[in-house]
Amino acid sequence: MSEQMVEKSREPAPGDARYPGEPSTQEIIARDRVPAPDWVRSESYEFLGDEDISIDRYTDPEFAQKEFDNLWTRTWQFACREEIIPEVGDYYVYDIGRHSFIIARVAEDEVRAYYNACLHRGTMLRAPGTDGCANEFKCSFHGWTWNLDGSLKQALCDWDFPHVKAEQFALPEARVELLAGFVFINMDRNAPSLEEYLGAEFLSHISQWGLEDRYTYCHVSKSLPANWKLSMAAFMEAYHVLDTHPQVAPSNADANSQYDFYGEHVDRFISSLGVVSPHLKGQYTEQDIIDQFTLGDSSVAGDVPRKLGEGETARQRMADIIREAFETQSNTDLSGVSDSELLDCFSYTLFPNTFLFPGISLPMVYRFRPDPDNHRRTIYEVFFLRPVPKDGERPDPAETVYLNDDQSFTEAEGMDPGFGAILDQDTENLILQQAGLEASAKQGITLGNYQEIRIRHFEQAVDKYVEGAA
Amino acid sequence: MSEEFVRFCETSEIPSGAKKHAKINGTWVLVCNVKGRLLAVSAICSHQEKPLFTGRVRNCKISCPVHGARFDLETGEALDLPATKPIATYAVRVVGDWVEVKL
Repeated sequence: MSEQMVEKSREPAPGDARYPGEPSTQEIIARDRVPAPDWVRSESYEFLGDEDISIDRYTDPEFAQKEFDNLWTRTWQFACREEIIPEVGDYYVYDIGRHSFIIARVAEDEVRAYYNACLHRGTMLRAPGTDGCANEFKCSFHGWTWNLDGSLKQALCDWDFPHVKAEQFALPEARVELLAGFVFINMDRNAPSLEEYLGAEFLSHISQWGLEDRYTYCHVSKSLPANWKLSMAAFMEAYHVLDTHPQVAPSNADANSQYDFYGEHVDRFISSLGVVSPHLKGQYTEQDIIDQFTLGDSSVAGDVPRKLGEGETARQRMADIIREAFETQSNTDLSGVSDSELLDCFSYTLFPNTFLFPGISLPMVYRFRPDPDNHRRTIYEVFFLRPVPKDGERPDPAETVYLNDDQSFTEAEGMDPGFGAILDQDTENLILQQAGLEASAKQGITLGNYQEIRIRHFEQAVDKYVEGAA
Repeated sequence: MSEEFVRFCETSEIPSGAKKHAKINGTWVLVCNVKGRLLAVSAICSHQEKPLFTGRVRNCKISCPVHGARFDLETGEALDLPATKPIATYAVRVVGDWVEVKL
């Protein structure tokens, strides 16, 4: 065997390489005092290829049209939280592209999604993005009215409409499924069930998070200046932390984060916090790490003294601080909740457009929707979820705060300033990335085999739907 | 606008989370108790003059049960289509056991 061949055989297979000489996410978590559950302690990565991803998907309006035709019409989408429609008659209007749905609770345990258009001359029955409570849905133009169950109640001057048969004029519906406090809808009558779509492995994860027992304490919406897929991809890896979020890197194991995917529609990363970035090894003390730790909601434990004692680690101390603070805030016993769940960033993507962060200190949900009028823009929403107080009534879900292009995320009421600054940094990149892709001589983007696997996994699913193969 | 406050109802009739409508000098008025705070507005939607009596109150906003327009109870501002015009707001106070409103 030649020297060259021996050398080659020592190289890891594509996708097998990890940050050299640094502990893996699993090794970091294994050292924690309160051990993590199985859903944290598992890995599910495979190499999916290393070809470039075509740029036209981000720049071509025809690609966006194909997505509206073949992807958004056939996928399960997070339409709203159940908490926004708790009572019979409550509704929320979910809009995707040109489509709009009235998500209505029609019985205590039944939610329906009606296409939001009068069957007479097409007027929307409710304005986009609104919510409220109704006993019936009445069109504001000529007063045609539907019962909560979608059956036609009244066509004004019915003597003039002998051709309108009530049984043929019920409001058309999309499919609805409920999961963990979320309402999902799908326009495709032939799509797999939500359970099949998300897969058993992921369902075993989400069933342990108790997201149905949380409420939205902050909801922010902002239009981002980039294609929706580009915007999503900005949140799928921790590879960008060192350069984009330098204030975070000292307390984030960015380059040794873990990446997994489960079937075609779910992927995740686990990014450990309270440990220094491998890129900055040796440059920060444990005290520096805890001093620079950014909480998603610093109001919970922002003022707690962070001075470390002899031999204490930043990670353990921060876990203890967060445990105590959240126990006080929500009047719950978190002694059995692992350090990792309290501290770390767990980012799951549910294809096509939802991120769930089930961690305690980073309790967000993101939703990305394409701007129906501009494929270079995205309607981005952040929901922060807190546990419902055990001894109090469920607070009303927060009102949506709409930010304009010039506003910082830090200006939104309820948004933590430190976290808002991180989102501003991500947005600033997107402006230049969208413009750069359109200016580029290179017709594809190049991805890391491991750290950017979620982007490849996501784009492969996009391709399957757009090409009609899914 | 009248200079005088007039009795609207007894305070016990509008506990926290409740609302009450009544006609005062020919004007329909709606008083809402939002977590202990009383707010008085026109009880008629500015969109198609439908009553707001049974509208849902959440986060200090009321939504019209007929077509879904929403109004800020503090300012009267129309927040959602199909309404584009505000509703009137009125001063409200408690004197003894009575809620009083000034049109």
